[in-house]
Amino acid sequence: MQTSTGTLSKRRRIFWLVPLIALALPLLTNPYTQFIANAMLIYTLVTLGFSVVIGNLGQLAFANTAFFGIGAYASAIASTNLGLPWLATVPLAGLAGAFGGFLASAAALRGIRLYYLAIVTMAFGELMRWFYTHTGVLTGGTDGLPVSRERDFGLALTSDTVQFYVFLIITCLLVAGTVNLLRSRIGRAIIAVRENEIATASLGIPTSQIIVTAFMWSGFIVGIAGAMFALHTGRVFPESFGLTQLIVNFAMVLVGGLGSVAGAVLGAVALTALPEYVRAFPGMEEIFFGVIVMVVLLVMPKGLASLLARVSPIFQQRYHRD
Amino acid sequence: MTSLLKVEGLSVHFSGLKALDDVSFELEAGQVRAVIGPNGAGKTTLFNAISGYARPTAGSVLLEDTEIVHCSPHLIAEKGLRRTFQNGGLFAALTVLENVMTGLHTQTPGTFFDVLLGRRKAVEAEIEIREKARDLLKLMSMDHMADTPAGDLSGGQQRIVEIVRTVASEPPVLLLDEPAVGLSPVARQQMMEIIKRLSGEKGVGILLIEHAVELVMAAADRILVMAAGARISEGTPEEIRSDKAVLEAYLGHA
Ligand SMILES: Nc1ncnc2c1ncn2[C@@H]1O[C@H](COP(=O)(O)OP(=O)(O)OP(=O)(O)O)[C@@H](O)[C@H]1O
Ligand SMILES: [Mg+2]
Repeated sequence: MQTSTGTLSKRRRIFWLVPLIALALPLLTNPYTQFIANAMLIYTLVTLGFSVVIGNLGQLAFANTAFFGIGAYASAIASTNLGLPWLATVPLAGLAGAFGGFLASAAALRGIRLYYLAIVTMAFGELMRWFYTHTGVLTGGTDGLPVSRERDFGLALTSDTVQFYVFLIITCLLVAGTVNLLRSRIGRAIIAVRENEIATASLGIPTSQIIVTAFMWSGFIVGIAGAMFALHTGRVFPESFGLTQLIVNFAMVLVGGLGSVAGAVLGAVALTALPEYVRAFPGMEEIFFGVIVMVVLLVMPKGLASLLARVSPIFQQRYHRD
Repeated sequence: MTSLLKVEGLSVHFSGLKALDDVSFELEAGQVRAVIGPNGAGKTTLFNAISGYARPTAGSVLLEDTEIVHCSPHLIAEKGLRRTFQNGGLFAALTVLENVMTGLHTQTPGTFFDVLLGRRKAVEAEIEIREKARDLLKLMSMDHMADTPAGDLSGGQQRIVEIVRTVASEPPVLLLDEPAVGLSPVARQQMMEIIKRLSGEKGVGILLIEHAVELVMAAADRILVMAAGARISEGTPEEIRSDKAVLEAYLGHA
């Protein structure tokens, strides 16, 4: 139990092995598996952003797909309509996603909580989808909007291998930033708000500001994941950001383990790979997918991260109840 | 001499119910003032009104001559008035140490971006408050529990950790809502020692809600007696002991 902070942060350096090993991954992949590996990096960010809000902050907000879509469309619009190179659209997508996070937090701050917040934020996602479909001039409507992979500071972004390295760097930076945040006083305050918002305020912590911060950071990283998704698929469509996407993202959070960074990575990787395996059963993919998710959650209610927690205290989840 | 906390004509009315009605008193540095009264007398409502959790319908609260009556709870806490909760306010999923660290939140330097980018300033601040929190726990002989989730502590241990967390930032004013409830006789005695030490050594002004009359008589410098939202008496423990109105309204029942 008694682990001093020093040894813990030293042991945390081990995590840098994961991206280091991943550097060699393109040697082992074919074009098809490389495409899947890239998606894993995208969904790592999507899941992590979602987990910060529903796991750490404990708000039942389902605006994640809205952030994802806003980021993807921000990137595509900046690419197609403004002619910006993709890399330059990435920060824009992040800021657009963060703004989406700000809007969602406004709902939470208005005292809309629990199931009401769930519905309001889901409606936000659907409203955005309606917007992508019906503002064809800007978004290309149902035909979708392409993202240019061409002129990009000399990077051959048409190659999935090059994309992989770019995605790997972005994902590592954002995961590291999230870990920094969560391990700081801000991360403690985020959990404190979940545990007891009233008591949190009694310690001089501006709870509204903490809620806005968590939502905006979530929107920021999921927005950037949106830009990555846009590049990855080459063209963004409204249907990509519907309820199916939301449910899959939610499953990734739960299978990985609510509120756990390592869990977000595991959940995203596992559930990005899974559909490729169940594809062997045509017509029954969804059923297999659903059943496997259910079984994992029945066996491990705290997700895959709970397996890691048995190996090392670093992975201990900040979930006391349930 | 100006007082640390000055409450004047404070009232909280909930749609007709006078939960708190025209209550006034003062609190000085180093003073322990007990607030007693039967269940539903309005003691917790008084705390809520002072600390920003209940909106007063009338009255004023001066904290070191600054009006705080319409400030939000976190602002009041930042100004140096901190409280505990009758039902306990620990964060169950955070460890004991982390709970105490949240009490030092406002004293931890470093902006959002310092933290995000892992800048030295933020990292050092984090190490510093971790050490400080550990020392505070040591003072209360709770350091062996530092890495235990707060939700795993016994009720008595939780009360102690909540007080450590609340006083970590060294606030000049402390409001304790039944800190000794559910404690064993020995632990109650320890709690009273802690309270006396805070006021005696650190000069903290303390408002204390407590039902156990013998503890109140021993620990408090002055006592405010409430019933049905109103103040019915005020004075030193001796004065209160012999007050007819108090005997009838409150102590008489015992
Ligand atoms: N938010 C509220 N809305 C309506 N009525 C309230 C509210 N808070 C308190 N009351 C009422 O105000 C009265 C005083 O309650 P309060 O909690 O202040 O009593 P107390 O003196 O702390 O009692 P106890 O010793 O049982 O803790 C009670 O009748 C209570 O029902
Ligand atoms: Mg009470």
